[in-house]
Amino acid sequence: MDQTSPDPAGIPTVQKMTGADADAAETTVSVTGLWKIFGRKVDAARELAESGAERDRIQAETGCLVAVQDVSFQVEAGETFVVMGLSGSGKSTLVRCISRLVEPTFGDIEVCGTVLADASDTALRELRRSKMAMVFQHFGLFGHRRVVDNVAYGLEVQGVARDERHQRAREVLATVGLDGWADHYPQQLSGGMQQRVGLARALAVEPEVLFFDEPFSALDPLIRRDMQDELVALQLELQRTIVFITHDFAEALRLADRIAIMRDGAFAQVGTPLEILTQPADDYVRAFTQDAPIAKVLPACSLMRPVGDVAVEESWPRTTETATLESALPFLLSLHRPVVVCDAEGDPLGLLHQDDVAAVLEQNLR
Amino acid sequence: MSQTVAAGPGAGAGAPASRRRSPFAVGLAAAAFALVIVGFVASVGAFPESWNLGLADPIDRTRRWLINNQTSHWLYTVLLNPLTDLADAGIRRLEAILRWFPWYVYPVFCGLGLWRVRGRVAGALGFCGVVLIGITDLWQQGFATLALMGVAVFLSLLAGIPLGIAAWRNDRFAGVLRPTLDAMQTMPGFVYLIPFVLLFGIGRVPALIATVIFALPPVVRLTDVGLRNVPGPMVEASEMFGATDRQTLRLVRIPAARPAILAGANQTTMLAMSMVVIAAFIGSGGLGQDVLRAMRDIDVGEASEAGVAIVIMAIILDRFTRGIATLGGRGRGSRTNGHAGDSLRAADTRAIRPIMAATALGALVGGIVGHNTFPEWLRWHYAPYINDITAWARDNLYDIGNSGIGTGPLSDFITVYMVTPLRELLSSGIPWPAMIGLGVLGGLLARGVTLGLGIGVALLGIGWLGMWELSMDTLAQTLVAVAVTLAIAVPLGIQASHSNRFQKLIDPVLDFLQTIPSFVLLVPVITLFHVGRIPGIIASVVYALPAAVHYTDLGLRRVPAEVHEAATSFGATRWQRLRRVELPLAAPELMLAVNQVIMLVLAMVVIAGLVGGGGLGLETVNALRRSDAVGRGFEAGIAIVLLAGILDRLTRGVADRLRPPAAA
Repeated sequence: MDQTSPDPAGIPTVQKMTGADADAAETTVSVTGLWKIFGRKVDAARELAESGAERDRIQAETGCLVAVQDVSFQVEAGETFVVMGLSGSGKSTLVRCISRLVEPTFGDIEVCGTVLADASDTALRELRRSKMAMVFQHFGLFGHRRVVDNVAYGLEVQGVARDERHQRAREVLATVGLDGWADHYPQQLSGGMQQRVGLARALAVEPEVLFFDEPFSALDPLIRRDMQDELVALQLELQRTIVFITHDFAEALRLADRIAIMRDGAFAQVGTPLEILTQPADDYVRAFTQDAPIAKVLPACSLMRPVGDVAVEESWPRTTETATLESALPFLLSLHRPVVVCDAEGDPLGLLHQDDVAAVLEQNLR
Repeated sequence: MSQTVAAGPGAGAGAPASRRRSPFAVGLAAAAFALVIVGFVASVGAFPESWNLGLADPIDRTRRWLINNQTSHWLYTVLLNPLTDLADAGIRRLEAILRWFPWYVYPVFCGLGLWRVRGRVAGALGFCGVVLIGITDLWQQGFATLALMGVAVFLSLLAGIPLGIAAWRNDRFAGVLRPTLDAMQTMPGFVYLIPFVLLFGIGRVPALIATVIFALPPVVRLTDVGLRNVPGPMVEASEMFGATDRQTLRLVRIPAARPAILAGANQTTMLAMSMVVIAAFIGSGGLGQDVLRAMRDIDVGEASEAGVAIVIMAIILDRFTRGIATLGGRGRGSRTNGHAGDSLRAADTRAIRPIMAATALGALVGGIVGHNTFPEWLRWHYAPYINDITAWARDNLYDIGNSGIGTGPLSDFITVYMVTPLRELLSSGIPWPAMIGLGVLGGLLARGVTLGLGIGVALLGIGWLGMWELSMDTLAQTLVAVAVTLAIAVPLGIQASHSNRFQKLIDPVLDFLQTIPSFVLLVPVITLFHVGRIPGIIASVVYALPAAVHYTDLGLRRVPAEVHEAATSFGATRWQRLRRVELPLAAPELMLAVNQVIMLVLAMVVIAGLVGGGGLGLETVNALRRSDAVGRGFEAGIAIVLLAGILDRLTRGVADRLRPPAAA
């Protein structure tokens, strides 16, 4: 839906291609009409919710809590889909429904071609062992196991031999920068390091889909920032499908290919960071965008126009695909020339124009 | 799930409703009040003797029948005797194995073990302690005690851990099990012996069974609690990796709950130790038997030697089992305490290993060669010196220089001004209907209708058993001991909570006192106070003191530092802060301290029947001593259980009442 939506601000956008080519993209996670209602009278609660009743009224009348209300979305292979919402908005329940740690009340969920509702316990276990992994808010590390045994846990339950799983675990620990810590216990590590262990543990099983349940919210702001950068870098390399839950709007903007804003169990808006910023669906979403440090979080590539016929001159300032708008701002303000956005090899991907950036920044002020 | 906790309008409505008194409660209160009035007006005095249910006779008849049929009836020949033989064989076997090893292995092994878990000083003390047991010629008795205890602990863990797992798995089972464990833990250990004596007579097997059951609750409870407290995310993470339930239990839940389970095993071991000693009353043999015999002869020296051996064993076992719990968790502590301790210990660890290996080799060689008796030439008895000291104490401390200060005047003071008046007040001053009425009112106020009715029925039951006066005697002793304990413990606890230095100072002392099995505590007390009611009360005070200080300290420390600061910032003096802020905030915990103190004191007061404490304890002691008194002892046992139940529920109810309303 986001690709086709008209753009009132008149800014041409080039879809950011982090994953596979858009045409070839296949859906990895597909959620249709998902409901999660805690309580007994689920049908009555659903009817009330569909007639537009508020959560409090539904709870008063039926004793049920509607945690997730008629949510549908697809996540393409290699895409980072961020669900952003305040506490109590149902985002945590949503991710637990998708992984079936919590049983959904209504709706269909398909992960990697398997319909979860139909899956037997064995099939579900198999799916979890081979296709998905999750990183938890409070890390969920096993305090009685060394770091290496934590990371090897997924392989251990699959029955991988000790030497093999330890070797694999040490490799993954090296990729998250924790080589040398393998024989410590998690409690001896700092919070940021502990979450690296959590990440390594999830990566060790080479899952197709990674679920992140507010993984960085328990960390200091500076560490959080580092972890976000690292995740972006890792994702460039690994190209996994990611469903990421957060309550931090800036974090959502930094990481997401697409963002879903969740409120009272339902999606208020789904779109790319740019769409959310420039065309907030309602006042609720706008409230978030107003405080967002746009220039710091939007990647330069999100506002670039195609190079087209323009002859790119050597003297034009350049920036990289993953850099933020902020990196281009000084040039845009002083040189009155477009900034060239280049890929990792230095080839031009598109051009960033002063007018477009100004339009977006202005929109944000309103 | 935070959302589900959010209180709807309905949740708030329930709270005021519980405050309204139901007509039933009002009626009950009125009836109880009427009982009090009628009791005083009619001045009926003690519970009528003619209402005695006469439970003792059928029990005595049962006992006689059991004795007569022990060799013929199928209940014994098919079921109980084979079990008895099996258990006895197990104990014998373990004792034989323990005796096979050469004597010198034990001090070395204990020394090394304690060195490993507690450091060098503890290791040296452990070594000397074990040698001392041998020197005082208590080696064989020590093995008898250890074997009985080993089998009992093994069986307790074997039953307790699966029970704990079952309780964690099944909420309905837990719902039944938990109140049962509560009830079991309020019963003084002594009482457990009676039914098994009735069934099995005197010997090691009833002692074993009573010990297994008495020691069971902590490991069951802590296994259950430990499994329930495994953090949710840990379990979710395990499930998320596709672990089966069995894998999650084996790889995550049980290892994560290990510290709790081991703490339970430690408590179970200590309970088993104290019970094995008390079980000397029914012929468990071992060190307890020596203490008991010596105490009957008022031979304080002999009793001290055996008592000290028991204390040494208890402390070594306690530090060992606790050490195992922390050793397994080495390096798993927080970031701050992880490294320093480890590196300090590393050098010792390296030193210990070769000695350990040498000891193991020595054990095998020595066992085969047969160095298994403690050498005859290494003997020394300090009993005579203790007896000298006792005699001196009796002559000189009883009334120091005829000044009216000493243990004698102190006993007299407690007896004349506290115990006797209180006993008279409870047993005849307050008429029994009034007493029941007051009990019901207390229950109503503390918790509600159920507790009020329960207390009424329990008090009536005590009367029907014909135990009214004896129970009031025990209650009076208990209350005096509780008052004295709190008078000493609360100031100590307050001081400890305010000063870390003071806490560090008294902690080891309290820790030591807490490890001493209840029965052994009587030994030093009769040295100073001779026999009668007072030594029982003094021993109870000493027995309950550590828990009381500890809980007071803990309760006060739980008051957040911010609250302290807030109070101070308003210019409160230390005394104002204590009285207006800390004590009220810690009140529920302090009430639980009172609850613990009452339970410990009651357990001790009952055992003190042995040294002339009178009351219910004496009846129980008699039951275990003479087979014709079993019926009476059984009745006394039930009365003790009822009394313990009343006091426990009442104090817990008050503790809950003192708790501020929970956050919405």
